[in-house]
Amino acid sequence: MKSISLYEEKGSMLNRLGPESKILYIIAALLSPMLAGTKWVGFGFIICSVILLVQSRVIKKTIPILGVSGFILLTVVIIQGLFREGNVTPVLSLGKVIFYQEGLLFAWGIVINVLNILLCFCVLILTTKPSDMVENFVRHGFSPRLGYAVISVFQIIPQMTETMATITDAQRSRGMETEGNLMVRIKAFIPLISPVVMSSLINTKERALALEVRGFNATNKKTFLNDQKRNAADRYIEWSLIVVMILALVWRILKWQVL
Amino acid sequence: MSNTTRKLWTLKFNTATWVLIPAAIGINYLGKLFAGVLKLPLWLDSIGTCLAAVLAGPIAGAICGAVNNIIYGLTMDPISTIYALTNIAIGLVVGILAYKGFMDKFGKCILTGIIAGCVAVLVSTPLNMIFWGGTTGNVWGDAAYAWSIAHNMPALLASGIDEIIVDLPDKIAVMLIVFAITKSLPKSLTALYRSGDTVESLD
Repeated sequence: MKSISLYEEKGSMLNRLGPESKILYIIAALLSPMLAGTKWVGFGFIICSVILLVQSRVIKKTIPILGVSGFILLTVVIIQGLFREGNVTPVLSLGKVIFYQEGLLFAWGIVINVLNILLCFCVLILTTKPSDMVENFVRHGFSPRLGYAVISVFQIIPQMTETMATITDAQRSRGMETEGNLMVRIKAFIPLISPVVMSSLINTKERALALEVRGFNATNKKTFLNDQKRNAADRYIEWSLIVVMILALVWRILKWQVL
Repeated sequence: MSNTTRKLWTLKFNTATWVLIPAAIGINYLGKLFAGVLKLPLWLDSIGTCLAAVLAGPIAGAICGAVNNIIYGLTMDPISTIYALTNIAIGLVVGILAYKGFMDKFGKCILTGIIAGCVAVLVSTPLNMIFWGGTTGNVWGDAAYAWSIAHNMPALLASGIDEIIVDLPDKIAVMLIVFAITKSLPKSLTALYRSGDTVESLD
């Protein structure tokens, strides 16, 4: 069964860190540019994320993630560059199509922001096992039942994808068309999705029984299967990230006073 | 057992409801996958959320929507995490409407779809403005956006139109599918998720 998680254990420095430091890194990467009020802080975080990802040998895995948003970013650049209101200064003309400076600058801001979000999330999701993350949340007082709901998604989706392949083959063998005009394809949707929905709802009944038998609703303190991932470096990293955010705020206030 | 005895805002879920949440997220995922395989011009990625909201109430629907997008964020597209807000809103609205009896008849079900679609537009448009400058990445929606901007409409309105073109048909289709599914579910299954119901003992 193929896992849907993007996490990979490479024994790198980021793999050994606790999830908290990496989540704080995301918060710092998102908040600092806002606090400092300049896109260049975001640019700095992008470079920092790339260095971290290269160092952890997972940079290749960011390509599909960037690909998902890359296409949308391309349309943003084109649409804003061509049509944004307040576009007056032409910079580039390809035949009749003219790109304007204001729109392109606006799109550049969006590109920086989106890349920053994507890459700082990659630092977390490519190097952290989802179940470790949820377990740590539960340790900090998150509801264990909600924790179960989150972790079990990672098991259920691969199972359901397998069922989906079986059902598609079964319905095709009964003569269902899955290719053709739009109407044919719309009609195919219901016979494909409803067996999976039914079987997964019926499965929930059995799963609920199995869980209750194993004390899912027990109210006493839960114990954990895995040890908490946390080492000495975590604390230094967390403090320095907090300092970065404070510096960003101080810089904003100083700049504001100078003006 | 009449509907009125069910508690709408209960946080005390029974085990079946907790198990329904991951299953619903799986259904969301498959809906999106099938829509992709069949090359349908819709997302159909909130069937599970709406189903959970109809079966187990607004809070379950909202949790389902939130966890769904957090998982998407962890596995495919980090930006979609923030759109959890949209899915939470859809879960809440559909849950409340279903509780008020909007999922009983075909016509009302389409109305539910329209309302859910409008709520999705209201929540998503500001997010689109913040993160993408107003576009959605859907070809038809973005074409409308470009057209509106080129005709000197304000960006917020253009972005709203963009999102309506994408979201409204999608949510109506989703509600119709959910309607078809819930109508064909056996009572023994739908009764599982009603946490407010009391069990009467015979002895």
